[in-house]
Amino acid sequence: MADVPALTVSHLTVQFERQDSPAVEDVSFSLDEGQIAILIGPNGSGKSTVLKAILGLVPFTGQVSIFGAPAVEARRQIGYVPQRLGFDVTLPLTVRETVRMPLLGRRGREVETAFDHFTEALGISQLLDRPLGTLSGGQLKRALIARAMVTTPRLLLLDEPEAGVDIGGEQTLYDLLNSLVSHHRLTALVCSHELDIVSRYADLVLCLNRRLQCTGPPGDVLTPDALRRLYGAAAALYRHRAGGSPP
Amino acid sequence: MIEALGYPFVQRAIVAGLLVGLVTSLLGVLVVLRRSAFFGDAVAHASLAGVAAGVVTGTSPLALAAVVAVSIGLSLHRFERSARLSLDTILGFVLPFFMAIGVLLLSLSPGFQPELLSYLFGSILTVSWEGLLAIAAVGTVVVVTMARHGRAMVFAAFDPDGAHAAGVNVSRVLTTFHVLLALAVIASISVVGIVLVNALLVIPAASAKLLAPSLRRMFVLAPLIGLSSVLAGLVVSYRLDLPSGPAIVVVAGLVLLIAWASVAGRRAGTR
Repeated sequence: MADVPALTVSHLTVQFERQDSPAVEDVSFSLDEGQIAILIGPNGSGKSTVLKAILGLVPFTGQVSIFGAPAVEARRQIGYVPQRLGFDVTLPLTVRETVRMPLLGRRGREVETAFDHFTEALGISQLLDRPLGTLSGGQLKRALIARAMVTTPRLLLLDEPEAGVDIGGEQTLYDLLNSLVSHHRLTALVCSHELDIVSRYADLVLCLNRRLQCTGPPGDVLTPDALRRLYGAAAALYRHRAGGSPP
Repeated sequence: MIEALGYPFVQRAIVAGLLVGLVTSLLGVLVVLRRSAFFGDAVAHASLAGVAAGVVTGTSPLALAAVVAVSIGLSLHRFERSARLSLDTILGFVLPFFMAIGVLLLSLSPGFQPELLSYLFGSILTVSWEGLLAIAAVGTVVVVTMARHGRAMVFAAFDPDGAHAAGVNVSRVLTTFHVLLALAVIASISVVGIVLVNALLVIPAASAKLLAPSLRRMFVLAPLIGLSSVLAGLVVSYRLDLPSGPAIVVVAGLVLLIAWASVAGRRAGTR
């Protein structure tokens, strides 16, 4: 039997009220298990809307299935890392309490093993008793990834995980994501603006500007022409030669 | 004071005050988490429409106030989603709209209604056995529901999208929370009255937020502060012959100021 795709999106259209044109129109793609796919596109191109439709947070037409099951029945297979978390930073909410939230009080050896494993893997085990509001941008993102992972999902959706994270933290974050994907049979769909990150970590790039403009591995998709079509005249990806200057 | 404990009306007042203090401070933690401190005020003032309808028609004002408050609790989240208005904007409509209806209804009833004052400022010493039973029923519903669904409520109040992604039915959980709040507000009216009811929801939870090192401790500390404020307020009110509702609120407010001063002092000491 052929492997079932981890995620299949067919003819996805999202039309918000009081808007003339759809935010996302007729988008179709599928991801194989173990892939990191990165959605790129300018602001307002519908990247976050695609993630929200997969999560069932916005109404849509079309089909979304996760490992062959309708998304609405497979929500427990999904982990979600939001772009930002609008919360009162003075709350005495600890990192431990935040990471445990999706467990909804579930205990047991399996749960505790997953909790210990992911807090360790994401480098936040020393921060568990710290208030969430005292974390740096990178630490907060790692805590949110741990929160998404404690229920051991098979599909991870990340909305611009690098937002609010410095350059060093960005690299660490994507290295950790890469490691999670390869060690846990995980599939990841990420929205990003960072073309350098995309070229290094994506197995599949999805170029979105309301409609899907192009799909393929980074080497095929991140061409000057494709980027110009997607972002306009200003966009280009420069590859530095070792020890040299940009071309 | 000890001899006063022999009077049934004092016993009822103490039990009613403690129950209300427990329930409102527990829910208050979620109110602070959801940043909806205006909710209690809006629902309490809106319930004046029910109180007025009761006064005019000769039916139980608190029962009709409960109908108004629970209806608001049931429809608030749906309204928030479908009207695409923020919670505070909707509450900004709910408070004056229903209160205005209440004032209009009262204008239909000729003469001065002295019992209205007890709804506005509370009258804990006049709580009847039936009233106490109703408060106990609300307390049981709130505590049992929070014990079963408190974690989902915390998650949905803190991060609705994250909770939805984790499989929580956010709409149902937040509606349940709003209904519990509405019931707690109505149960508190006999203790502190419509005007001051929000103080019991917000002040103990805010004090606990200042002092607690974790959310778990905040859930322990807020009821302790709520219960102590009610007891101390009742003692002060008895000793100094002052109205009990405002006395309870002033004590709770003083606890908040002391908590704030202690945190500020600690911070200054570490600089």
